[in-house]
Amino acid sequence: MPNRAERLSRILLSLPPGLYLLLLFAVPSLMMLFASFRFSGEYGGLAPWYYIEDGQFTLDLTLENWQRLFESDIYLGLLLKSLAYALATTLICVIMAYPLALMIARSKKRHRDLLLLLVILPFWSNFLVRIYAWMIIFSPQGALTAALNVVTSSLGLEPITLMFSGTAVIICLVYVHLPFMILPLYANLEKHDHRLLDAAQDLGANRFQCFWLITWPLSLPGIYAGAVLVFIPSLGIFAIPDLLGGTNGIMIGNVIKQQFVESRDWPFGSVLSLVLTAITLVLVLLAAKLGSPAGENNGKK
Amino acid sequence: MKKILCCFVLCLSQFAMAEKALHLFNWNDYIAEDTVTRFEEQCGCKVVQDYFSATEEMMAKLLAGAGDYDVVIPTQNAVEALVKQGFLLPLNKSKLSNLGNTAKGFLDKAYDPGNVYSLPYAFTTTLIGYNEEKIAELGIDPSNWSIIFDPAVLEKIKGKVTVMDDSEELFGAALKYLGYSINDNDEKHLKEAQALILKAKPYWAAFNSSSYIKELTVGNIWVAHGYSSDMFQARVDAADAGRDFSVNFVLPKQGAVLALDNMVIPKKARNPELALQFINFMMAPENAAELTNVVGTGNPNAAATPFIEPEILKISAIFPDDEAQKTLETVGARNAKQRRLINKLWTEIKVR
Repeated sequence: MPNRAERLSRILLSLPPGLYLLLLFAVPSLMMLFASFRFSGEYGGLAPWYYIEDGQFTLDLTLENWQRLFESDIYLGLLLKSLAYALATTLICVIMAYPLALMIARSKKRHRDLLLLLVILPFWSNFLVRIYAWMIIFSPQGALTAALNVVTSSLGLEPITLMFSGTAVIICLVYVHLPFMILPLYANLEKHDHRLLDAAQDLGANRFQCFWLITWPLSLPGIYAGAVLVFIPSLGIFAIPDLLGGTNGIMIGNVIKQQFVESRDWPFGSVLSLVLTAITLVLVLLAAKLGSPAGENNGKK
Repeated sequence: MKKILCCFVLCLSQFAMAEKALHLFNWNDYIAEDTVTRFEEQCGCKVVQDYFSATEEMMAKLLAGAGDYDVVIPTQNAVEALVKQGFLLPLNKSKLSNLGNTAKGFLDKAYDPGNVYSLPYAFTTTLIGYNEEKIAELGIDPSNWSIIFDPAVLEKIKGKVTVMDDSEELFGAALKYLGYSINDNDEKHLKEAQALILKAKPYWAAFNSSSYIKELTVGNIWVAHGYSSDMFQARVDAADAGRDFSVNFVLPKQGAVLALDNMVIPKKARNPELALQFINFMMAPENAAELTNVVGTGNPNAAATPFIEPEILKISAIFPDDEAQKTLETVGARNAKQRRLINKLWTEIKVR
């Protein structure tokens, strides 16, 4: 039974994160919810939510913005496409990050810091600069496209274009988010008790069985943590599809940005943002649920 | 303690520097670097530049609260909207000794009668820039909007075309191609334009309002829908880089958008005095001429003409002759309802 002091300290400890969530998540979301039922102003912004005529108070709210979401299937279709892009990015990140994280975790202790430094090295230059570098690599005059097209033409196929395509968007999403998968995975793998593998080997497990029955299940919380860190930012991103997506590679983030910037339609932008937030919340709760039971008895036993 | 003092002094000097700065909010690639340097020397201040690539983008930023720029360069329809919003400071004409240099034809327009709030900076047309060799090779007529709208023509240049990421400009071009006015707000005509754009969209590489100069210069794309001044720069850049092709530009025969860009001072400007000094500086003949010679804009400054390179004066896409002027139209300010309709159609275009 926790005593009073313990309970008090628990409340005090949860206060800062609680406040943080309230101020930076709940309040803005509620403001968005309110905005989504209002009309947009004459020159952007929001129109007043009520007017007084002949001393009579009238609410000026509407369901129009929400109806527009379901009016045609294009917005939901785009949402599905964005989910598919984010999912593909997450899966590719898992496949690429796992061997690397395992290698770093199993390398000599004195090398690990250097290897980790190499993983986070790209963060030292600005995100947009790195995307522009990819634009040069992908450009039709670039070496990569030229080399690929030598191959395709020798096989008698049509020349391909990388720039301005969904493929380019996914490649860059993977590139940008890969470290966010490697780091939590490494943090998890590094804590594994090596004696478990020794014991398994002593009991006659081969290398694949060692991995599949011991390392893999123990590393699942790391994968879930990494997946959340990769999936959520990929889902809402707009800079990469803006620069590399062309006419067909755009994602839901671009349309939200368009509502708030070019179209100056804050109410409809709020509707789209809220839908995105709701999806993200559901997925985070799911990941937390999947991650937690394994997480409690994880690592050193 | 010493460290704290140091920090304090640094902060103070930052403030001191901030005070002597002109904050300019301008179109990208729309002023010559030498002009900026000369102004900095003359006024003993720094010019801090921010850029935009579409009118809607600029309006969104200004109306969302970023109104403390000293000088903004909006297009005529945006001036009208900003005046109606009470966003601008009336210009103190007594401080503008170069006022008489502007050609009369560009003054006292409907968007700002008597030029209370704005003075003309430069004008551009929105047209087609193209890779001369490729387009000649393929036998395509670049002086026709069909080059970006007709699938039969686009078939030959699929993936090598960019159009502006700007609802006003793209709808303007589509409406012109269909034979309507740029300021047509009939829902039926706008939907027709939307259908036209959607049919052509699979052939376009991207919606692009800012980096088509580079893409055209490098040879990544062959046809771009964009501003005359940008195409002028693409042509100069391609020639300077010694490419094995040249970039050219032409006004489509169906007509196009003419944009008259103006200098205005927001009410919230941090340094209105310096802003007036800058406006006066830009109206001096040599400085106005440099804008045309380097950036390739049309020039409303009559006194600047002798300083402008004669070859540029001859280009009708930059200085439209009487014949071309008949086909050009300026975009008017749309009201909230019209804007909502066009934005909805535009969002659908982007998403589909």
